Amino acid sequence: MADKLEVQQGTLALMILKTLEVLGPLHGYGVARRIEETSKGRLTLNYGTLYPALVKLEQEGCIKAEWRQSENNRRAKYYTLTAIGRKQLAHETRDWHRTADLIAAFLAPRREGEAP
Amino acid sequence: MRHVRAWLARLAGVFTGHRRDADLRDELEAHLDMETAEYVRRGMPPNEARRRAMVASGGLTIAAEAVRAQRGLPWLESAVSDLRYALKSLRHSPAFTAVVIITLALGIGANTAIFSVVRAVLLKPLPNRDGDRLLYLRQSIDGPAGEDIAFSVPEVRDFRAGVPALGGIAEVSPWSLTLEGDQYSPTARIKVGLVTGNFFDVMGLHPILGRLTRASDDGPGVPPVMVLTEQFWRSRFRSDPNIVGKQVRLDDGSATVIGVVQAAPFFPEPADALMNMVVSPHHLSATMVLGRTHRMTEIVSRLAPGATLEQARAEVATVYARMQHDYTQSYDPGSHFRVTVLPFKDAIGERARLTLWLLMAAAAFVMIISTANVVNLTLMRGVRREQELVVRAALGAGVLRLRRLLLVENLVLAVLGAATGVLMAIGGVSLLTLFAARFSPRASEIHLDTVVLAFTLVLTVSVALLLSFVASLPKEGTFASWISAGTRRTGGLNKQRLQRGLVVAQIAVSVVLLAGAGLLTRTMMQLSEVDTGLKTEQVLAMQVQLLPIAKIASGTDVRAADAAAKQGYERIKQQALAIPGVVAVGVGSLMPLEASEIQLDVKVEGRSLGVGEAMPRADYRTADPDYFRASGIPLVRGRYFEQTDRAGAGWVVIINQTLAHRLFPEEDPIGKRIAWTGDVLRFTPISGDWRTVVGVVGNTQDGGLDAQPRGAMFMPFAQELAMGNTVVIRADSNVTALAAQATSIARRIAPATPIDHVMTVAQIKDQSVSPRRLNAVLITSFGAMAVIIAAVGIAGVLAFSVSARTNEIGIRMSLGADSARVQRMILGEGGVLLAAGLALGVCGGFIAAGVMRGLLFGVAPHDPATFVGVAALMAFIGIVACWVPALRAARIDPAIAMRAT
Repeated sequence: MADKLEVQQGTLALMILKTLEVLGPLHGYGVARRIEETSKGRLTLNYGTLYPALVKLEQEGCIKAEWRQSENNRRAKYYTLTAIGRKQLAHETRDWHRTADLIAAFLAPRREGEAP
Repeated sequence: MRHVRAWLARLAGVFTGHRRDADLRDELEAHLDMETAEYVRRGMPPNEARRRAMVASGGLTIAAEAVRAQRGLPWLESAVSDLRYALKSLRHSPAFTAVVIITLALGIGANTAIFSVVRAVLLKPLPNRDGDRLLYLRQSIDGPAGEDIAFSVPEVRDFRAGVPALGGIAEVSPWSLTLEGDQYSPTARIKVGLVTGNFFDVMGLHPILGRLTRASDDGPGVPPVMVLTEQFWRSRFRSDPNIVGKQVRLDDGSATVIGVVQAAPFFPEPADALMNMVVSPHHLSATMVLGRTHRMTEIVSRLAPGATLEQARAEVATVYARMQHDYTQSYDPGSHFRVTVLPFKDAIGERARLTLWLLMAAAAFVMIISTANVVNLTLMRGVRREQELVVRAALGAGVLRLRRLLLVENLVLAVLGAATGVLMAIGGVSLLTLFAARFSPRASEIHLDTVVLAFTLVLTVSVALLLSFVASLPKEGTFASWISAGTRRTGGLNKQRLQRGLVVAQIAVSVVLLAGAGLLTRTMMQLSEVDTGLKTEQVLAMQVQLLPIAKIASGTDVRAADAAAKQGYERIKQQALAIPGVVAVGVGSLMPLEASEIQLDVKVEGRSLGVGEAMPRADYRTADPDYFRASGIPLVRGRYFEQTDRAGAGWVVIINQTLAHRLFPEEDPIGKRIAWTGDVLRFTPISGDWRTVVGVVGNTQDGGLDAQPRGAMFMPFAQELAMGNTVVIRADSNVTALAAQATSIARRIAPATPIDHVMTVAQIKDQSVSPRRLNAVLITSFGAMAVIIAAVGIAGVLAFSVSARTNEIGIRMSLGADSARVQRMILGEGGVLLAAGLALGVCGGFIAAGVMRGLLFGVAPHDPATFVGVAALMAFIGIVACWVPALRAARIDPAIAMRAT
């Protein structure tokens, strides 16, 4: 079994925003499925992690929610990315790349005196 | 921005959360359904699918809780729930709540009100620029009315030249003028200060309209100008914004209003307006400017940059010593001439200080008693609530959470008490302002402002904190023992000791307050027994100044004006005599019991001043032949004035007993000759000729019932300028009813002359003691409050002790103790507390009495009657308070008591 990872709040928000950008309006279940699939099962989200994150994003104005009929005729609450959310996504994506590059450079197997 | 928005959303969530719970449940259910459907689609049996979905969810309740925490503000929500809980629990014990709120309201209300006065009158920085560098100089001599004799112009000049530590000396001379009626208000006497041009600069005041006086307003030949005080501008000129540049008519001249000065206290006399010296030709005359003993000027000054108060004092002392050395004539050694340099703020707070700090201490004592009472009540309630708290602790509430619960509850109590107290204080402040106005020119600054309310808030929160931390809570890890301790606990020995200590403190503090109240009340009783020296109180006095002072000071046509004024008085007399019931009407310079502002040196024919003997001084008064009879001043020797003692006849004089004793201790004064003396006579219209003593009259309490006796010399009204301005009317009964008639007579004869102080002798007398009376009433009501609270306290603690010991008492009774014995036991328990409190209180009372010595009259600080009375009263009230619980203990039925275990 692959290692399961605890998902961090900050990265979770980024994942949710990205998911909504790629797939358009989606309910909580859909978001969870997408994140689990994308992580190839290495991440699992229980409700207690996912829903507070959704509430927080909604409070910040990044997403908005409304009840709709789902594709198989079930009522579900759909989350849509807002303009603020898009900006926030772009911003956090850029930050994330920078941080990732930095950490990667830091951890690269490189010795004193070696050429970069 | 994003965060603010999120925070606002959460704040809103606190209040809308309950509605959104259903929504959240639906959402989570939908998620669960979809996940289940997915597992079914993959071929799982529905039950197994549902179970898997549930496991993956991590628990719906936990999720809902997490969302709720995110949605609102958890700490605020729990505070709100604490508040709700506190209100509920207080509603369940209405008696406790009401007693606590009222008790705290009394304490907090009294402290808020008195503190607002103390702050405005004593503590608040002066509104003047650099107000703490402002100084007041005072010249004093021994004897009555010698405390502030003011300065002469040459003296001021010497200080100006010789004291570099004083950066600017300003002169202000209290003066009184008639301001003629105009479109704003009718004619009235006003108080003005005649000031030098630098006055406002030294005082550090700025105009709110127009300009203030400056150096170019000094000296003769400049136009007279007037600066209005803020208060006078508002009341007299209805806050007219266009007042600057207008002319006002005064006595027999006019002046231009040049500005309005910011609100500020004026001292030693309150002022309606400030004017330049040119208004009074007298102030610029050679006599005034050159006469070293012609003291009419007060000095305000300001420390020079870098100078200290000590430097200023030392330099002033040096210059003053040189003055006394150079001009021995002007400073007789027997009178102990001295000059004090005081910070201005201290000088104006001087008269109020002792009284106000005493009231503040009394209010603090009330606070101590009421807090002690509330602490006791809380402790008792805490014991009853222990079970509840233990149950809560057992259900998972931490100690911190319990503490917070108590704190919220106590805050609610304290805030409700404070709110009630502040309402009471609002009512009290207007009364206290009137009271303080008698002592201080800063009374108008008394407000319940933010600083006062901050003081109240600090008091309130401290009480709440104190209450929350005296209650003992189960310690972490000891819940088990608390729970197993079972049903009844009595709060432990320590707590009982604390309760008893508090009761003793309450009684002691009450006794101190009562002792203070008792001494002040005795003072009032002593004062009311003081003989005014007048034989009757059916006397009405009315001040009508027919010869304006400005006329006398100007020196032109004085004789004619004087004759006209005397005719006016004669007509008023005749018409007043015609009023039915009037027995006698007299005219004199002053109201009976009023102290003269003119004090002069006196000499006796053929006798010189002994070495080191103080110069004899006397009040200058005039009286017509009927003045004494009308005022009820008794004749001791010789005769009253007669019609023959008129202008041009031989100079005669009547002296009072104090002066007779001072001048002629061994001899009969009748027929002896005395005279006014001293340099200063040259500057007055008063003659220094020898005058024959024709009569001695009884002393009267001039200047107040508590005043020292003053020597007085009465001149015949007809032989002096009519500086006199008082008509005295005596009736056979109910003289008060004559006021309106008397006023209308004067109004008819002198329509343009203001009429002041239409008062009966009873009113004059009353006015002189009313500040003391209010003081006594305030302290007495604080004392009464304290005693009531303390009585409730002792009764409560004993009652609690009885109910906690029901079981024990039951055992005692079943073992043979009868009810009388039980009753004695409880009474004894209370008696010990009472005795300890009384002993401590009497000691404290002695100390307090020593501090307030200056406020007493006719009663020793350690007055045994007062202390015995106070102790007996407290003991009586205490015993009554003990009796109620003792009776209850005696009625305990042993069978029931033991079964109740």
